[in-house]
Amino acid sequence: MLVPLYGFLEGDTLGLLVLAHDTMNMGKAAELLVQAAKPRVTQTSEIRIVVNGLEINPSLTVAQAGLTALARFDVRRN
Amino acid sequence: MESQHASGESWLSLARKLDWDFSYVDERDVFPAEICGKPWLDGNAWRSWDEPYKTSYSSYVATQHEKEQSLKTVDHVLGRLRDFQSLDVAWLNGLKLHAAALPLAEFAATIGNLRAARFGRDGAWRAAAALGALDECRHAQIPLRMMHKLVRWDRQFDWTHKFYHTNCWVAIAARRLFDELLLFSDPIEFAVATNFVFETGFTNLQFIGLASIAEESGDRLFEQMTMSIQTDEARHAQIGLPVLETVIKHDPEYAQYLIDKWFWRSWVVFAILTGFTMDYLTPVEKRKASFKEFVQEWVLDQFLTSIENLGLKKPWYWDTFLQSLDYYHHMVYASAYTYRATVWFDLVVPGPGELHWLAEKYPNSWKSFEPVWNRIHEQWEHCDPGVDFGVHGTSIVGFCNMCQIVLCQGTPEHNTACTLDHKGQRYIFCSEPCKWIFEREPDRYAGHKDLVKRVLAGEAPANLVQLLRTYCSLDFDSWGKDARKGEYPWLRRQPKDPRKEEG
Repeated sequence: MLVPLYGFLEGDTLGLLVLAHDTMNMGKAAELLVQAAKPRVTQTSEIRIVVNGLEINPSLTVAQAGLTALARFDVRRN
Repeated sequence: MESQHASGESWLSLARKLDWDFSYVDERDVFPAEICGKPWLDGNAWRSWDEPYKTSYSSYVATQHEKEQSLKTVDHVLGRLRDFQSLDVAWLNGLKLHAAALPLAEFAATIGNLRAARFGRDGAWRAAAALGALDECRHAQIPLRMMHKLVRWDRQFDWTHKFYHTNCWVAIAARRLFDELLLFSDPIEFAVATNFVFETGFTNLQFIGLASIAEESGDRLFEQMTMSIQTDEARHAQIGLPVLETVIKHDPEYAQYLIDKWFWRSWVVFAILTGFTMDYLTPVEKRKASFKEFVQEWVLDQFLTSIENLGLKKPWYWDTFLQSLDYYHHMVYASAYTYRATVWFDLVVPGPGELHWLAEKYPNSWKSFEPVWNRIHEQWEHCDPGVDFGVHGTSIVGFCNMCQIVLCQGTPEHNTACTLDHKGQRYIFCSEPCKWIFEREPDRYAGHKDLVKRVLAGEAPANLVQLLRTYCSLDFDSWGKDARKGEYPWLRRQPKDPRKEEG
């Protein structure tokens, strides 16, 4: 199932919509966000993913991370 | 027949306050609470309503006639196409932004004033609002008339009229504000929100601050136009204070709520409208002060003094507002630059001189924006001039469900967007104040879909170019580009590798 999420990349100036699949792992969702923010933020692979203030394992799927449609996730740069 | 001999002044005092007691109908039927607004008070509670600058219809007409004549002369002398063509290209694009935002909003204000001219609770208030309606009609027509001649030269000026009829995200946000503020509000909310907060608190920024920059930039027509409008605004803005004083007397909590709500809602729109032009679209050598300095002078000092003198408190989110003064319009500008095809005016990249100026003016925040502009510079260095989509976003951006502006509050390190689940729907807001406004009146706001929800509902296309063309009424000629085509002398453009060219 397609799950639209609001992604916020540290260093960026706005929030972006990331169209993820509930079986997609969060690392991939974060990668999509980093790619979408490319015009404003230098690409990096050194990242942490934060949901509801807690860092999560990037191998968790969107569903396992408890994210439902239009939820927020953050990508912090190391 | 004594009145025939009365002096102008004594005649005015009789004519401006025409009220009487109703014998055959109930006052509540003449002034229904649903239309007049709250608090509903007996007519006597409004009898002390008084505006400091009083005018009769005849002196109003004489003054307006003079202003019109003077503006027409200025337009004739300084409004020729070659006068516009001699202006800096960045400034011209600030002009497009203002020209589009003004006329139809002013026309909506005509309607708001007309509602007050009928349902305002005191005769003098109604008389002042009737003249206010005429003012706003004039303000709608002036920019339409002046910008019309530019349409053949530059199609983006067509948005002076077209803007509010489109689904460009800025138009959605502007309609979201002005529909409620000017068309929907009852006369009490209108007087507090439009006349007091918007016109007393914010339009000085626009009509005085920006007019002085226009003069510096050589745009005498814009300067004269805004100054002419401002003289009307200053007169009808005075409707707000006596209405607010009465509301404070009878329902201080509601008065505080109106101030808190409308200050924030006005702020987010003005930050874009005026902040873009003052800090980015005015040539750096012509800038008199930063947007923040103008806000400090025209909004903070004067507005805070006014509300504190009335016994009201600063809005509860004051610290958030002060932080946004350092960040918000910079966040939106950088975002808009990298999504410039989604608007009807062109934007520019600040070069080394401008970046230095911005760093000096915004010592608390500018460090956070340097990497963003360095990144944009770097990308232009790898792109040919004019290849706008080489330095442009393509994904869908998020919009606040309250103000309908892109999710740009907070800082690049920490965006303050927050979500709320309400009656089985999820909403996102750019900031706590926007969320708070929604939560106070969810039924008023919950049904309005932002652009993301329209895309997800299949009402608007998800592909950016398709969205712009078929949904936002933009096309290649009209959508925003880099105003200098990415040709900046300070860019260190990378020489092309001939082997790649061959391959």
